[in-house]
Parts: sequence; structure tokens; C-alpha cells
Amino acid sequence: MTLDRMAYEIETVEPTQEPQAQSLWQRFDRWWLLLVGVIILTYLLIRIRPDPYGRIYRFLGDGMRVTVGITMVSFLFILLAGLIGGFGRISKNPVINAMASIYVEVMRGIPLLVQLLFIYYASPIVLRGIGARLTTIWPALSVRLVTIKLNPFAAAVLGLTLCYGAYMSEIVRAGIESIAKGQMEAARSLGMSYFQAMRYVILPQAIRIILPPVGNEFVALLKDSSLVSVVAVADMTRRGREFMASTFLALETWLMVGLLYLVMTLFAARIVAYIERKTLFVR
Amino acid sequence: MCDNIIEIEHVSKRFGHVVALDDLSLTVKRGEVVVIIGPSGSGKSTLLRCIDHLEDIDSGSIVVDGIPLTEAENIDKVRAEVGMVFQLFNLFPHLTALENVILAQRVVRKRSPQEAEEIAHQLLAKVHIPEKADAYPAQLSGGQQQRVAIARALAMQPKIMLFDEPTSALDPEMITEVLDVMLDLANEGMTMVVVSHEMGFVKAAAKRILFMCDGTIIEEATPDGLTLDACKEERTRQFLSKILT
Ligand SMILES: Nc1ncnc2c1ncn2[C@@H]1O[C@H](COP(=O)(O)OP(=O)(O)OP(=O)(O)O)[C@@H](O)[C@H]1O
Ligand SMILES: [Mg+2]
Repeated sequence: MTLDRMAYEIETVEPTQEPQAQSLWQRFDRWWLLLVGVIILTYLLIRIRPDPYGRIYRFLGDGMRVTVGITMVSFLFILLAGLIGGFGRISKNPVINAMASIYVEVMRGIPLLVQLLFIYYASPIVLRGIGARLTTIWPALSVRLVTIKLNPFAAAVLGLTLCYGAYMSEIVRAGIESIAKGQMEAARSLGMSYFQAMRYVILPQAIRIILPPVGNEFVALLKDSSLVSVVAVADMTRRGREFMASTFLALETWLMVGLLYLVMTLFAARIVAYIERKTLFVR
Repeated sequence: MCDNIIEIEHVSKRFGHVVALDDLSLTVKRGEVVVIIGPSGSGKSTLLRCIDHLEDIDSGSIVVDGIPLTEAENIDKVRAEVGMVFQLFNLFPHLTALENVILAQRVVRKRSPQEAEEIAHQLLAKVHIPEKADAYPAQLSGGQQQRVAIARALAMQPKIMLFDEPTSALDPEMITEVLDVMLDLANEGMTMVVVSHEMGFVKAAAKRILFMCDGTIIEEATPDGLTLDACKEERTRQFLSKILT
């Protein structure tokens, strides 16, 4: 009983109201300063030693856009996969539940790098094999499969989505399950359907719990997207390798690549922190 | 219309090896206030939860206001007719007191925003906390939260109210404010099934007192007859001697 009571109290500790009389400096998120510092350092390097840092920076430019693009596109699919997988994991339907659980466990047990290599290099072989067997049954599909060539960008998005979607499913599941059972019961006892209860009672509360880990996943994805360089996607890491291969400037190249990743991740982390603070105070 | 608003016949319910309800039968008349007492684990909560269909029953039948609780489509209908008040209130923490009372009116009863808000204000006044309309549950005391929870249930205009130890999580000084609201309801003729060991309330409001033990009702008494000598069962006497002091 006392334990129940405590769990209840912890669970209902509401975000305190917005602090009113705080100075601008106090409210200011000081981690922005670190980001500004890193940007200035990078800028100074490029200004003071345009050769090679300026050259490297310009060479990495499109790679950086590819990195950002692939992260954003994948993240949208990952959110979708996480919602589907997360609801699958809490489903009472044994078939759906088993499928979601197997997906999560398998994907979390294989390194992302191996998954990407498999999708890009191995899966076409499987598809061609299937295609070869379909020549008489379904000629049109067979031709398509036999001549299949995977788009590197699509393969990379697929790989990142499958892998990160599994982790996201667990975050969604944990978030929903962290809302006490009593909330669902209270909603149902008022006559709401399961979906109404989810929509109006459970999810609005779960979002607040889910948001911080989802933000962390975004930052982690930004970094892990460097792995797609192995499947012929010209992201920033791959561009760095190309530059080094032609100039042998290992130190300068990887210093620049590292700094640019740092700028991106620090920036993303600040945006995530900002959104988190917003949703804490707004209902 | 039938005079018995709740008809429970030979209901059994088990959790694994634990028999929570054991061939239990009970009828409650319209407007009756029935209090259930009994030791911990005797199945009191399970009985209320079965009436509101928060638990499936293994055998037997439960008919609420003429609607049998068997077909799936009846469940939401019955739930809206039955208000449930929980030991730990279970208010929605992301909504204000007013919004807690409004939500199901909009979603389930499909009332207009103006109508729902008007009803919510009336009900918060009825439970004596009109001034807390804009407070979040975390900003309310336990007694205030429980009264909002009662208002939230009443907003559905239920025909039956179920209370599962509504005051046992409250500090002593807040118990009366909740019991007063419940007494008002009883005097207005609401059908109520209450699990409570608050003898003051039992004496003032109850028409029948049921004693539960091991998943079934072993004895029934009226408030006047609730004395140690009047009870036939040894187990009832043992339990009463603890709570009557
Ligand atoms: N969800 C559940 N899973 C497993 N066992 C349960 C569950 N709910 C209740 N039980 C068991 O069923 C029996 C009856 O429980 P119930 O909560 O109805 O008792 P109670 O009379 O309300 O007790 P208390 O006074 O402690 O609230 C107990 O033995 C309990 O352990
Ligand atoms: Mg109980």
C-alpha cells in the first residue's frame, strides 16, 4: 500500500509551473556557448589556414548535406517504424506481439554496419535468386528482380530505419507502459474506447516521457549515419575518405570531419533540449 | 423497467490459482446504497471491477440496468452508465480539474464544448471545489483530487456509482470532505456500491452491509444490526471486532 502510494506520487509529480522571476542569464541554456566555441574554432581554422582547411571544408560540403538529408529522411521513417513496432509490442494479439518482438530482438542483435552491408550487397543476390525462379510463373516481376540494382541512398535509409526502428519501438513501448495502468482504467471506466483512451489520456502523457530518449536517438543517428559510407553513399565521412586518399592529409582531414560532426550534433542536441523544455511547460 | 439495477448470478473469477470471486450472487435495487466490507484479499475490488467490466468474469452473469455484460458492444455502454471512483483517484495528471471533468463528456457523450464546460462547473461546485477548476491534480490535496474524480464520474450521469475504498488513501482530516459528498449523493437517491470501512458513513448511508470473505458474500446485515452479537459467522465477528473499535 505505501509502495503503491509512493509510485503514484512519483508518477504524478507534475512539471512545476514556469519559473517566473528568473534572469535571462539563468534561463539561458549555457550549452549553446560550447556550440558557438566549436563553430568559432572551425571558422578560425578555415580562415587562418585556408590551405588545406578551407579546401577540405569545401570538399566536404555536399557530403554534409547528404549526411543531414539521410538523417532527416531516415528519422521520419524511424518514428513511423517505432510507433508501429511499439504498439505491436504492447498488443494483446499474440501474432502481432510475436512479430513485433522478433523484429525488435533480431534487429537489436545485429550490428548496424552488418545490416547495411547485408542490405546493399547481399539482399540483391537473394532477390535475383528469387527472380530467376519466377521466370515462368511471373515473367514481369522476374525480369525486374533479376536486373535489380539498389539505390545506395534508399538502401541506407532502409538499413537505418530497420535498425533504429527497433530501438525506437522499445522507447515507444516503455513510454506507454510507464503510464500507470490506472490511467487506462479510469478512461475506460468513463466509457472511452481503447483508442479514445490512448488518444486523449495515455499518449499525451507518454509523449513527455518518450521525448528525451527520442531526441537522444536523433543525435545518435546523426553520428551513426557515417556508417552508410560503406554502401556507396557519398556522405561526409565518405567524402573525407576520398579527400584523404588523394591528398594523404590524414590529420587535417579527420580533424575537420570531426569538428563538423561536432557542430551538427551539438546543434541537434540543443534543439532537442529546447523542444523538451517547451513540452514540459505546455500541456 | 426492472427494479433490480444490478443482478449478479453465480459469478466466479480467478487469477491463475487465486480464486478472487467464488460463485458470488448479489442483486442491488435502484436507489440502494450497499456497503461491502471484508478482509484484504477477499475480492471486494475484484467484484466492483467486474461490475464495471474492467475484469472479465470466468463464469456466471452480470446484468446492469437490463444490459447483460456479455456482448462486446455492451461494454462501453455499461461503463458509461456506471461511475467508478478509485482508491488512488486516477485523475488525468496532464489535464486541469475542469478538463478532467470535461474530457469524457466530449469524447463519449459528444456534448458541445459549452455544455460540457457548464456541466463541469456545476459538478465542481457540487463537490465543493469550484475555485479549483484550473488547478492540475498535482496541485490538489488528496481529498480535493478524490472529489474531482467523483465529479468526473458524475459528469457521465451514471445510474450507478461504484466506490472502491475512496478514502483509504487520504489523510484523516480529508476523509470527511469526501464522505460528505458521498452522503449527499446517497440522499439524492443514487444507487451506490461502496467498499469502505468508514463506520460513520456506513451507519449514516448504508441500507445493506455485505460481508465478503474468500471471494463470496458470507453475511449480510443492516446498519443497526451491525454489532458483534448479531453476527452469526465467526469470521465476521473477528473482522468486526477489529474495525468497530
Ligand atoms: N490483476 C490481478 N492479478 C492477480 N491476482 C489478482 C489480481 N487482482 C486481484 N488479485 C487477487 O485476487 C484476490 C482478491 O483481490 P481484491 O483486490 O479483489 O481484494 P480486496 O478485497 O479488494 O482486498 P483489499 O482490501 O486489499 O483491497 C487477492 O488474492 C488478489 O491477490
Ligand atoms: Mg481492494
